[in-house]
Amino acid sequence: MKKNRKQIVLYIIAVLWFITTFLPLVYAVISSLKSNDEMYRSALSLPKEWMFENYVLANSIGNAFQSICNSLFVALSTTIIEIIVGMLAAYVISRKRRILLARTSYMLFVIGVMVPVHSTLVPISSMASDLGLKNNFLYLILVYVCFNLAQGIFLFTGYLDSISKEVDEAAIIDGCGDLSLLCRILVPICKPIIATEAIFSFIYAYGELVFSLTLMSEPEKYTVPRAMLSFYGELAIQLGPQYAFIIMTAVPVVIVYILFHKQIQSGVMAGAVKG
Amino acid sequence: MKKKDYVITVLFLFPALFLLAVFVIYPIISNVILSLQEWNGIFGAPKTFVGLDNYKAVFSNESFWTSMVNAGIFLVVGFLIQMPIAYGLALLVTSRIKGKNFFRTVYYLPVILGTTIVAIMWKNLLNPNYGAVMVLLRAIGLEDIAFDWLNTPGLNVWVVALVNCWKSAAYNMLIFCAGLVTIPEDLNEAALIDGCTTWQRIRYITIPLSKNSFKVYSILCITGCIKTFDIIWAMTGGGPNASSSTPAILLYLNAYSFKLMGRSAAIAIILLILGVVLSVGCNKLLKQEEY
Repeated sequence: MKKNRKQIVLYIIAVLWFITTFLPLVYAVISSLKSNDEMYRSALSLPKEWMFENYVLANSIGNAFQSICNSLFVALSTTIIEIIVGMLAAYVISRKRRILLARTSYMLFVIGVMVPVHSTLVPISSMASDLGLKNNFLYLILVYVCFNLAQGIFLFTGYLDSISKEVDEAAIIDGCGDLSLLCRILVPICKPIIATEAIFSFIYAYGELVFSLTLMSEPEKYTVPRAMLSFYGELAIQLGPQYAFIIMTAVPVVIVYILFHKQIQSGVMAGAVKG
Repeated sequence: MKKKDYVITVLFLFPALFLLAVFVIYPIISNVILSLQEWNGIFGAPKTFVGLDNYKAVFSNESFWTSMVNAGIFLVVGFLIQMPIAYGLALLVTSRIKGKNFFRTVYYLPVILGTTIVAIMWKNLLNPNYGAVMVLLRAIGLEDIAFDWLNTPGLNVWVVALVNCWKSAAYNMLIFCAGLVTIPEDLNEAALIDGCTTWQRIRYITIPLSKNSFKVYSILCITGCIKTFDIIWAMTGGGPNASSSTPAILLYLNAYSFKLMGRSAAIAIILLILGVVLSVGCNKLLKQEEY
């Protein structure tokens, strides 16, 4: 009896927070198909008149589709480059610890984590203007790689350290050099942690705001957050298209989340233990 | 053999160190120099050495202190509202209720959406004329409080901080979960046999054993709140009249709206020092407690 009551209380709390997180999202989906007028009169009912024009408007004025493609391209490239650069560094840090350079680099990355990105913002953008690299995707991608690298190197190094050195020795006896040892043997073993880090950098790069704000000024090169802000500036009074824009741009990340939610959650928890 | 190891080390580390040097170390050095100069940001315009004037200007500027207070508001909301919610949710999704995986998955959705999407969504929900929140408030007869919250100095930062809490509660929930799953089940069973109530078990077993997670949370919360940028920028733009700005927003405004590059660089350096001091300080302080 008492146990039952406890369960009920827990369920009530669980459902309450469920409503708090889910209702605004559902509301956004419904409202993306309404006119302002209808939102005013009946906030929570289904639209009487389905305004699919909202999506068309979000795409034609806000460049929604283009910005999603840009964001996807930037996010994918960031992820791939970051994993390659991070794995190379982590391999050396984990396996060549006798060498001073490897240890100092690790310290440098540890210190690097504490640097707020905003402290580097203005020089990075001035550098881009000086070199003519404003509106250059590669430059933006490299900046994203850099600010994800520290986390990647932590996770990779931790994982590599947990793999027994006997694996290396066996491979070296079989004639593996460093590169083939890393690519053929260690990378396959590290797959889980690579997947976790890949998702993190993907989501980060897809939605990053500050650098895209300062480095990208041509509307056709806007990534999602940037495009969303400028669309809001242009059409703030029309909520329907605003919601439509939000829903469209949320679709890719939500798909990634549905596919990989287990890895994401275990990744956050693994990161939390290390602090 | 040894020589080969060195070559490999240098080669493998080169890309990572190169990026670090170009995008972290060089910008910091350049900001330190710039913070001692006056410059209007125009290419080729003269930069004049002004010593510590930029720092003096920042510290005597009222909006800098407003921005620090705002960062403080994020801290207060982080500890008094977000932490209890996140911890409660963590207890909930690690308890034995059915469907906890489902709840956990849904709770995490706002984190995935990203700050800008969440910020713009809430900005629409809080729209004074058509926003759902305001429509609802009017529907239940609370017309007096249905006004433009985000445009009201003094209130807007709290609202944004609460939205931030809505967005990242689940992320912090997982941080606490990581600690909770390591608590051995025997302890709870023993307490149950001794006749502890649920509340007593939480109070005397679970919370003390979650100390580590609380530390991790504190470090993230304290270092995070001075860096807040995205959510405020998207929701209020730091306005009206810089009333809702954080140090990071002031840095941005000084550089790109007011063209006071030197002053912006000074804020950047202050942020950097704060960031490093707070991370190191929190780590030291909280680690000592263990003994």
